[in-house]
Amino acid sequence: MEQILDRPEFQSAVIPFVVAMLVYAGLKKLTAGAWIWALFAAFLISSSLINGTTLSPLTGTRKIILLVLGSLILAGLVPYLIRQVKLPRAAAPVLTILALLWVFGKVVARMDLIEIALFLAGGVGLVLWLTWTFGRIANDDSRLHSAGFTLLLGTGLSAAAAASALLGQLALSLAAASGGMLLAWVLQGKAVGSGRVSGSISTLPYVLSAALIGLAAIIFARLPWYALIPLAAIPLATSLVPVKPDARFLSALVNSLPGLIIALAVSYWVWQAGSSNSSGY
Amino acid sequence: MKKVLLLASLAILPVNSLLAANYTIDPGHTYVSFAVNHLGFSTMRGKFNKQSGSLNYDPAGKKASVTIEIDAASIDTGHEKRDQHLSSPDFLNAVEHPTITFKSTKVGWSGDKLSTVTGNLTILGVSKPVTLKVSSINCGEHPFNKKQVCGFDASGSIKRSDFGVNYGLPGIGEVLDLQIELEAAKD
Repeated sequence: MEQILDRPEFQSAVIPFVVAMLVYAGLKKLTAGAWIWALFAAFLISSSLINGTTLSPLTGTRKIILLVLGSLILAGLVPYLIRQVKLPRAAAPVLTILALLWVFGKVVARMDLIEIALFLAGGVGLVLWLTWTFGRIANDDSRLHSAGFTLLLGTGLSAAAAASALLGQLALSLAAASGGMLLAWVLQGKAVGSGRVSGSISTLPYVLSAALIGLAAIIFARLPWYALIPLAAIPLATSLVPVKPDARFLSALVNSLPGLIIALAVSYWVWQAGSSNSSGY
Repeated sequence: MKKVLLLASLAILPVNSLLAANYTIDPGHTYVSFAVNHLGFSTMRGKFNKQSGSLNYDPAGKKASVTIEIDAASIDTGHEKRDQHLSSPDFLNAVEHPTITFKSTKVGWSGDKLSTVTGNLTILGVSKPVTLKVSSINCGEHPFNKKQVCGFDASGSIKRSDFGVNYGLPGIGEVLDLQIELEAAKD
């Protein structure tokens, strides 16, 4: 059993996929935010298997794990804690930008002014763009989870190809959990329910995890910065799918297709670009 | 007999006294290398290509100290792709923690020769005590540049999980054998 749990494909694909489905099935009648808790449970287990339970030393990667879990708790609790108050739209992007500064602060402190300006422009721009494009599909469960699934799939595969299996596995575990949600939506014939809450908090977990892991793969590993441009276009591409099939299976397939094409193309390109000296070490 | 011993002591003491000095590490003749088990099949070896530091050596006063700073990103296992992976957040996280340091805190002597160096090794910002066994130490005048030079070979081992480097356990070995061959020239 222990050997199975040590295998990356179980840690970041099979386990989060199954856990997300089971938790959602168990909670769907209790709360509209079942999908958030399903993602939380899946990521909590996966990240514990991938990283171990230790948070010391508190590296950037471990900060990302804490922040993704924190964003899921926030998105899950806000509807209960603040029923009447609508959070400002800026709440989610501001929280994500603060998260960026916490994760990358140590590295940014060693940058020169031009590099700091480029980092801030790129990081803040990415967060605002993802917040806006995910906001466009926040009310459409099929599109929201299709975009989340394919964006994190592309981010994870690209990060793994860019020499950080750890970052790659974290993103892939979230992608697998989102895939489990999509399958639940297809099989159960009932809307997954985005647990829509104030402002952009409901899409915060997708925005924050994709932005942090994508930027970490650039700054801490060797993902070319321009690889994030097509990946960041995935939520917009998903929102532009012209057809809206009635059948849930077709809906999930059609909405995932643009993101899948982009994610796989970018991942293949990153892998090719970095594989000139690879011999399967 | 006492006179002979006294004369012999007087002859040796100045030599040892002359050695007491600060030395700067010669990066061209300093090698920090490691060996780790690879998936139970074989031993994988690697080294760091950039390091700096200093040595203070006073055999007469039985005092010594050493400080080594290693550029984590200079890791070299003879395979570029693997070196990129070892520099990534999976292992050394070289962007976030660019320097590995060793600072001695205590030394042991065997006669007038340095035999052990105990110090704090810092990886990923985590400092743990490590004891290196010194297998040889020699000082003298360099035959070409005529500078006073000291060199030593030392070895020890660490558990990488002690420093939070957990990725790939247990497949990629937990214990790293360290080897340091160092030369330093008198300031």
